[in-house]
Amino acid sequence: MDNVETNNGGQQEQELNYLNNGHSVRSWLLTRDHKRIALLYVLSVSFFFLVGGIYAGLLRVELLTPQSDLFEAATYNRIFTAHGVIMIFLFLIPAIPATLGNFFVPLLIGAKDLAFPRINLLSWYLYMGGAGLAVWALMQGGVDTGWTFYAPYSTTFSNSYVVMTGLGAFVVGFSSILTGLNFIVTIHTMRAPGMTWFRLPLMIWSHYATSLIMILGTPVVAITIVLLALERIARVGIFDPSIGGDPILFQHLFWFYSHPAVYVMILPAMGVMSELVANFSRKRVFGYEFVAFSSIAIAVIGFLVWGHHLFVSGQSFYAGMVFSILTMIVAVPSAVKVFNWTATLYQGSLSFDTPMIYAYGFLGLFLVGGLTGLFLGTAGMDIHLSDTYFIVSHFHFVMVGGTVMGYLGGIHYWWSKMTGRHYSEFWGKISAMLVFIGFNLTFFPQFILGYLGMPRRYASYPEEFQVLNIFSTLGASVLGVGYGLPVIYLTYSFFFGKKADDNPWKLPGLEWRTSSPPPTENFKETPIVTWEAYDFSEDNGIEIERTPETEVQPSS
Amino acid sequence: MFMQSENIPLFPEQASTFAWQVDYLFFYITAICLFFGLGVVLVVLAFAYKYKEQKKFASPRNIHGSLVLEFTWTAIPFVLAMSIFVLGTIVFHNLYSMPQDATEIFVVGKQWMWKFQHGTGQREINELHVPVGRKIKLTMTTEDVIHDVYIPAFRTKADVVPGRFTYLWFEATKPGKYRLFCAEYCGLNHSGMGGWVYVMEQKDFDSWLSGTDADKTPVQAGEDLFNNKLGCASCHAGGDTQRGAKLEGIFGKEVKLVGGNTAQRDEQYLRNSILNPGGQVVEGYQPIMPTFKGQVTEEQLVSLVAYIRSLSPDAASAPSTGSGNGTGTETESEDKAGDDQGDK
Amino acid sequence: MSEANIDHHHHPPGLQHQFEDMEQQQDSAIIGMWVFLAQEIMFFGGIFTAYLVFRYQYPMAFAAGSNHLDAFWGFVNTLVLIVSSLTMALAVLYAQRGNRNMQVAMIILTMLFGTAFLGVKAVEYKAKYDTGLIPVKGLNKVVKETDAEKKETASLLPFETKVSAAAEETGDKKKAYINPKGEFQWNYGEELVELGEKEGMLTEAEKIGYYSNGKIDPSKFRDKVQIFYWLYFAMTGLHALHMVVGLIIMTWLLIMAWRSTYSAEYYAPVEVAGLYWHFVDIVWIFLFPLLYLLGRHFIAGGGGH
Repeated sequence: MDNVETNNGGQQEQELNYLNNGHSVRSWLLTRDHKRIALLYVLSVSFFFLVGGIYAGLLRVELLTPQSDLFEAATYNRIFTAHGVIMIFLFLIPAIPATLGNFFVPLLIGAKDLAFPRINLLSWYLYMGGAGLAVWALMQGGVDTGWTFYAPYSTTFSNSYVVMTGLGAFVVGFSSILTGLNFIVTIHTMRAPGMTWFRLPLMIWSHYATSLIMILGTPVVAITIVLLALERIARVGIFDPSIGGDPILFQHLFWFYSHPAVYVMILPAMGVMSELVANFSRKRVFGYEFVAFSSIAIAVIGFLVWGHHLFVSGQSFYAGMVFSILTMIVAVPSAVKVFNWTATLYQGSLSFDTPMIYAYGFLGLFLVGGLTGLFLGTAGMDIHLSDTYFIVSHFHFVMVGGTVMGYLGGIHYWWSKMTGRHYSEFWGKISAMLVFIGFNLTFFPQFILGYLGMPRRYASYPEEFQVLNIFSTLGASVLGVGYGLPVIYLTYSFFFGKKADDNPWKLPGLEWRTSSPPPTENFKETPIVTWEAYDFSEDNGIEIERTPETEVQPSS
Repeated sequence: MFMQSENIPLFPEQASTFAWQVDYLFFYITAICLFFGLGVVLVVLAFAYKYKEQKKFASPRNIHGSLVLEFTWTAIPFVLAMSIFVLGTIVFHNLYSMPQDATEIFVVGKQWMWKFQHGTGQREINELHVPVGRKIKLTMTTEDVIHDVYIPAFRTKADVVPGRFTYLWFEATKPGKYRLFCAEYCGLNHSGMGGWVYVMEQKDFDSWLSGTDADKTPVQAGEDLFNNKLGCASCHAGGDTQRGAKLEGIFGKEVKLVGGNTAQRDEQYLRNSILNPGGQVVEGYQPIMPTFKGQVTEEQLVSLVAYIRSLSPDAASAPSTGSGNGTGTETESEDKAGDDQGDK
Repeated sequence: MSEANIDHHHHPPGLQHQFEDMEQQQDSAIIGMWVFLAQEIMFFGGIFTAYLVFRYQYPMAFAAGSNHLDAFWGFVNTLVLIVSSLTMALAVLYAQRGNRNMQVAMIILTMLFGTAFLGVKAVEYKAKYDTGLIPVKGLNKVVKETDAEKKETASLLPFETKVSAAAEETGDKKKAYINPKGEFQWNYGEELVELGEKEGMLTEAEKIGYYSNGKIDPSKFRDKVQIFYWLYFAMTGLHALHMVVGLIIMTWLLIMAWRSTYSAEYYAPVEVAGLYWHFVDIVWIFLFPLLYLLGRHFIAGGGGH
């Protein structure tokens, strides 16, 4: 049972794959194929990334000068809220799980589809419905509460479309719950014969951990939004103290989800990262079990640290202490991951293809993001830093530096599998480097601004902060170009790119043992797994051609 | 913090007894971060150089892992993280536990101004005068949404939560003028909700307490009151979305009041509107302005009225022409009312 | 290891394309429902947390509010749901045994009990509507001053305990009930707070939350009771919504069972629906004591024992 080459080589041009298996709009909009749903998600998620990015650009331009001269404060407040809501609920949370996860969880474990294809489609419709509500609210005039919807401002004082936006987040939340449910069940029951838990690629482990958070965290924020909306409509006090409520309760309930939500964003990126590091070093990930369990540890401990968002909110000293120590503990598994990735490089055969450039970039940015988290988890330090630009910079390093690098790295890595075509390696590298440089230029000055004490969400700010803000805006423009390029060359590649082999990098993962793009059923025959994950040894069942001259990537 | 605008500060001033504690904590964590961050980056760069692929699709030797290494690099970060936690908690404790012998100052936040009241009765708005070297405890609450008192030079902040009291204390170490921010997003003019903390020598503070203002003209003094001390500007000079009436060019004109009466906007009208704002609400506005009775002295009232009058230079001659020297056209339309504040 | 995927020609009815065999499909369905229920627990968990926080802060107001719920009907509903769980479990059993008639009968019985539960709930909600206990302005029955003579008082429901001995003594209860704007009505409380103060039972939050300027403020007490009713309606409403969804699932199940879809090999939908139904029952088992029973004793007994 060693050799399971379901098929290899790109000679089956006319063969039916998931892309050409039906061309009607209906065959896309009513598809139950996880791969098509993933592509629908790629389109919608990327669209909202673009929209959120435009809002970010507007913010940075406004912050060029200390006065609020480009926009009124009211407009500025609506823009940063829109930026936050769109980026978090409509981009970052579904970014990797709903796209790459949706596409590759079944492929990586050798399943024909997710366990519940209809629910998968439903979750995309819920996402679009929720996004529609949010966009509708945006067009009516938007929201000005910040994406955190803190009560009582959101329940009583704000005169904007809080309920509609909240409802949008609520509906999108259920889309996320259903995705998580699908993953958990699929990973439990649909693994191919021989695919034991410890043969699973680390992408799967991280998605499993992510799904746990989606299942257990999202409902809490959902009910919180329901309470908030009802309070706003019916004026009964749960959160507003003027009618008997408790505004801190809102913060607890909100962060109980919204802190783990950060791990929903970063864990899948860590999964992609493990794939990239292993496959582009052509080695098994160092300390596989530790990387796998650190994902679970992050998900579990991540549920116990929400209170570090409330160090200055007047919670008790002991609560602050407990949340601080738990936050310190949750830093450890992330550190373990980073060390193991680094150790994986040791004695590897390191490639510098575009996906790996993103992986190096991820490592650098996530290091900064993760380490600056130490400052914020330290209660005594956080008093000075909370609600300043330090925090803004920190979470952008983690969520944009981490998640978006992971997303782009993953998209490039699996592009040939998803589309059957190659992108331009040259432009890929250029954009990866632009993103890295632009990102640091944008957000590094914000650490200094934060320590100087510039509060976040300020439409106008004291003059002494201007120079650093100008640097930040300059960086943002580089970053914008870096994010814009892939849209262009990937779209070009989708239609006109050079046809790709089934396995251009000669990798051992299951997804590389089917055709590119894969057939609707994923595998011609159900694969039987007899090898460990990332097994690059000679007898692992995949033919490894030893022809260094083979040019796999066109270089322009 | 007398920062000139041409300076680019890279590190905030230290002006309280625990500023140095927070800064040392910062340096300690930074050192740990640099150790790990640079360490990993250097190792990655070295590996990237040394193990760059020699041949496409080579299969290097497989290394499964090392239990010793795993435990080492779990234990070391854990121990260091705990050391950060301990130091951080000590600092947190210093910030958190209120001293018994502190001078208490009451703080009320409201959209979008800070109101302070000293134990001796003096009230201030958006400015806080404190003596150097004395423990000050702020007892804080808010009239509306959550705000947050933040004084970067003191390295301290605390949320101000409606319906309850929160506390913050500090002991200033250096006379000077330091920025005060609102650090919790509180709506429209959040970024305008700030001011200054003046740290003074005890002697100066005492003379400030006894209340002699600097020798300014009434108009200048009024402008200062309007823009800074009383925070009138946060509602009355905010562009299109402001909540209060625009005051440029209104002086001397007739105005329609809620309830159908009209009133001449003269000195008496202005004075009454400051002391008893609910008495004569102009049509199209909500009666949301707080009273300033007890917070302004007669002297200050005179200055304020003088300043507001100075905004309408042509008032004496032709009260009936359109708008004065205001920046925009004066339209007191209905939709202004409750523009930013639906239900309040 | 490979037996599962050797024969592909045998394709049982009801097997979906993504699964290899019925066992895998059944496992997936059941694990899927458990995961969904975990999600549901967290969903209800959020609102239970809100309940606990406020109960901890204002036990007196919550006890007072709880005292005006109808524990009798609550108890009846608890019984109804427990029995419906039994019939549901039997429906699964008969589905496994392939006994179509008993299966259909049990599903119908379960649906009857479910409907009965909602009916009782409607009766209770109606009583709250009549006596002004819905915590949203304008959603209560409007009783104008002119109608007031006809009604003597904000009458207690037949099975409710009297508010407190103290309230009875003052004779206030004869006050005519009017509610011209359909607002939340709550006229009791002062005596309770006094009692609690005397017994030294008030929490820190209550010492602030019920008083204005050092005096007991009935309107502030009313606000806290209103929070109780707000949570009561949110929690039972959410639960009732789940019951309605359960009944829809049952209807579908009934149709499928009627067509003899389920057999010893294929009964996963019945089992999965059963899991859901039991979960909704269990939520009620928590709701009933939390909302109807906790703290009743203090007020009914008139003292802190």
